[in-house]
Amino acid sequence: MSWSFPKLIPRSAPIILLVLTLAAATGFAAVSHLVARYNANQQSRGRKLYQQGLADASANHYNDAIDAFRAALTCDPTNSQYQLSLARALRDSNDPRRLDEAKSYLITLWQRAPQDAAVNLALARVDAHRGSIEDATRYYHNAMYGVWNSNPDSNRSKARIELIQFLLKQGAPDKAAPELLALATALPPTPAAHLQAAQLFSQAQDHAGELAQYEEALRLDPANSAALAGAGQAAYRSGDYFAAHRYLLSAVNANPQDADSRQLLATTDLILRNDPFLSHVSDAERNRRITTAFTQAEKRLSECAQQTGVDLKAAATPTASALFALQSLWTEAKPDLTRLRSPAETDLPDAIMDVVFQIEQQTAATCGQPQGLDLALLMISQKREAASQ
Amino acid sequence: MSEPASSGAVRFQAPRRLFSTLEGVFNEELFFLILSVFIGIFSGLAVVCFRLAIDWMHLALLGPLPQTHGWRMFAVPSLAGLVVAALVLNVFPAIRGSGVNQTKAALYIYNGFIPFRTAIGKFICAAIAIGSGQSLGPEDPSLQIGAGIASALGRQLEISREKLRLMAPVGAAAGLAAAFNAPISAVLFVIEEVIGRWSAGILGSVVLSAVSSVVIVRWFLGSEPLFRIPVTTFKRPTELLAYAVLGIVGGVASVVFAKSIGYLRPRLKALPRWTQYFQPALAGLLIGLIAFLGAPQIMGAGYDSMDQAMHGQYAWKVLAILAVLKILATTVSFVSGAPGGMFAPTLFVGAMLGGAVGDIERIFFPQLTGSTGTYVLVGMDVLFAGFLRVPMTSVFMVLEVSGNYEIIVPVIVANTFSYLISRSLQTVPIFDMLTRQDGLILPSLEEDREEAILRVEDAMLPAPATILNAQDYVDANARRVQDSTDPNFLVRMHPSGWNIISRDQLQRLFREGKGEHTLGSVLPPQPLPSLYPDLPLDSALRYVNDYSLVPVVNRANSRKLEGVISRDSVFKRYESPRTPVGV
Repeated sequence: MSWSFPKLIPRSAPIILLVLTLAAATGFAAVSHLVARYNANQQSRGRKLYQQGLADASANHYNDAIDAFRAALTCDPTNSQYQLSLARALRDSNDPRRLDEAKSYLITLWQRAPQDAAVNLALARVDAHRGSIEDATRYYHNAMYGVWNSNPDSNRSKARIELIQFLLKQGAPDKAAPELLALATALPPTPAAHLQAAQLFSQAQDHAGELAQYEEALRLDPANSAALAGAGQAAYRSGDYFAAHRYLLSAVNANPQDADSRQLLATTDLILRNDPFLSHVSDAERNRRITTAFTQAEKRLSECAQQTGVDLKAAATPTASALFALQSLWTEAKPDLTRLRSPAETDLPDAIMDVVFQIEQQTAATCGQPQGLDLALLMISQKREAASQ
Repeated sequence: MSEPASSGAVRFQAPRRLFSTLEGVFNEELFFLILSVFIGIFSGLAVVCFRLAIDWMHLALLGPLPQTHGWRMFAVPSLAGLVVAALVLNVFPAIRGSGVNQTKAALYIYNGFIPFRTAIGKFICAAIAIGSGQSLGPEDPSLQIGAGIASALGRQLEISREKLRLMAPVGAAAGLAAAFNAPISAVLFVIEEVIGRWSAGILGSVVLSAVSSVVIVRWFLGSEPLFRIPVTTFKRPTELLAYAVLGIVGGVASVVFAKSIGYLRPRLKALPRWTQYFQPALAGLLIGLIAFLGAPQIMGAGYDSMDQAMHGQYAWKVLAILAVLKILATTVSFVSGAPGGMFAPTLFVGAMLGGAVGDIERIFFPQLTGSTGTYVLVGMDVLFAGFLRVPMTSVFMVLEVSGNYEIIVPVIVANTFSYLISRSLQTVPIFDMLTRQDGLILPSLEEDREEAILRVEDAMLPAPATILNAQDYVDANARRVQDSTDPNFLVRMHPSGWNIISRDQLQRLFREGKGEHTLGSVLPPQPLPSLYPDLPLDSALRYVNDYSLVPVVNRANSRKLEGVISRDSVFKRYESPRTPVGV
């Protein structure tokens, strides 16, 4: 069988080039048509597989979703949506080996559109899965300042909240602090947003910021019981017991079922009624409070010794030396109570209360968190300590 | 009545003038360069269609998902193997195997002639074979399709035999560049493997055709690389030891791979003709069974699996098993006579081996910073260097495909080990071995590298004691040669150049009363050619017949004579190429 061509092209360079150009153009058109048909078929098949993958992913069947997204990508290899979904499925499959591949897809997308906030957020989440604070923070920031296709303000705020949660989880409250401040300035005017921000401030141990957010929520919705309870707790944690009492009382009135607030209110009440250092307390009342606290401290010490099986009347042993020392302190300080009324003994209240605070703190460490008046005294000691620092 | 006729004549004169002007512009060199661009375009279009055909065939035969399940896995490759064998044996007999060595044979033996039927047959049969899951790749067939198109076009245009011979590598570069989406690697591969020697004369055309075909492929199929390149890292020089180990393992694997093919291919070809109808089917059945039993990744070219290996989707044991199974699958596919290439399988084996070695090394040395993807990428090149024995191409391929220069040092180190081990354990490179099994001996760049080149300095005689000066008078020069026994004397011309005069000529000039003339004024104006010591000795051959002495001068100072070359000294040097003339 011979496959020789008839000589179709005359041997003249310009004509040859003209004919070749026409042939190339014809070939180009034919291949364009072929590729367009092929791409249309592939895209249709890819869409079906993609939908299947989305269904699998929403049912948490990530392995099936990954297979479906991969197949969709073989049909339409440059489809950003498929790549993004595959990367998300790889990330969410809880297989650390797949994080590299997820990141690779996302980096490809990022190189194509570095301003795409969704891609940056997905990259941030991959790095968050890996615990890489620096990279995750960078991509979270890119997501915050990137381009969102819809609800940009809400999405930016969500991205920042996610970053803060990530940083707090990683034990980096110092890095979370500036993000919290930025979040507070850009929150939408809704109680829910401020409540969420308050919780983040709480996780970051910034109780002043937390209280400010609850107060902002209460400004928008004065009867919001969650905000009242939260404000009370925040004020309590920050040592502002008057504000705590006010908010907790309102919270209990607004929601009588709120047992936590009720208990905290009781403690706050005890603090306010037994703190000898409050400015409005008279000398007589102060002396009474000191005496009560001193008596209560001895009781707490005895209970703790009993709880730990230490006989304070027996000889001291090395393991129980702390409790014996406290017992000695208390015994030494007891005669001072009678001199409290003397105007010359200005340092005596502090000295006696130091003994009380040492007993409450040590017994809390040895025997666990106290209740009632002991808890109130412990809180007073912590506030006093914080004030002196 | 004459007015319209006159204006019509004027109207046709302008295009004719343009036409004749254009005719004059195109000499053969320029025309060949432009033709290279068209070869690239046509090859690019053909490769786009070829890739679509493979995908279509895969979809039609094996189904839409990347990993097919059930009976299709072994039924399809077997049945498709029967069809391919029937076509190869009865319709397209010249399309067996890769196509690289056939293209090289076309260049050196058949004056660039590749039947167009071969290109068509390769297109159809390779699409069926690869699409049905035979463990072969589309790159080498693309190379042959490109070469076939170029050869057919050259014959159609009746270009000179010299140029027609060069059409095959030009088309081959276009086909390979389109298949790999990597023009530099394609150009280097064609130079290293198809042309087999560095030739500046064809480089321009090869580059033009490769670039234009890549432009076409990217236009239609996008510029995405064959696989997503992972983040690659190379931090500490001590880690080069780990890559050297990969090079050693890759070199040994290359030898095993090449020797398996070299051993089985002639034996299967020697079996009765009727068995050849079933060889691709049996190969397909074996591959299908391997896939059915849990390793579907070995079917076809395997780029998806390479991509996943690159991103750490397989444990080292899986990677090692896949490497071994792929060597087995590709060997049986290739030696069965199914048309298809070895580039993609080579990359696959290298990728899996690289990943496995890297993971094992990291188990023992957790401080190694290279990711699995880095080892996979280096592994690909290691096999390319060791198995295909194209060290330059392999290094540039990783740069072109990954766009990352960070791993160039690990690649060079690993490739060097792989290449040296492969060369020491397998003297003949795979493509040369295949060509020799077919009864052909073709030139090879590797052989050229080994061959000692004789240079002018090897045949050079010491500079003669008497050298005449063109600015001196004839009688003074005649007095200078009186005591010499030499029949001929070199003359140093002014301000530069050399000439030669015999004793008889000098004496005749003296007798003719030209003693008062300067020697330069009476010598013929045509200067004597000179040579440089580092030139190949072949270049002296064109002068030694016409001139009894040819000066060998210093490149920095052409008036400084390093020595002379004569016909006797050159021939003596060729007669005993291992002994310098002066010794």
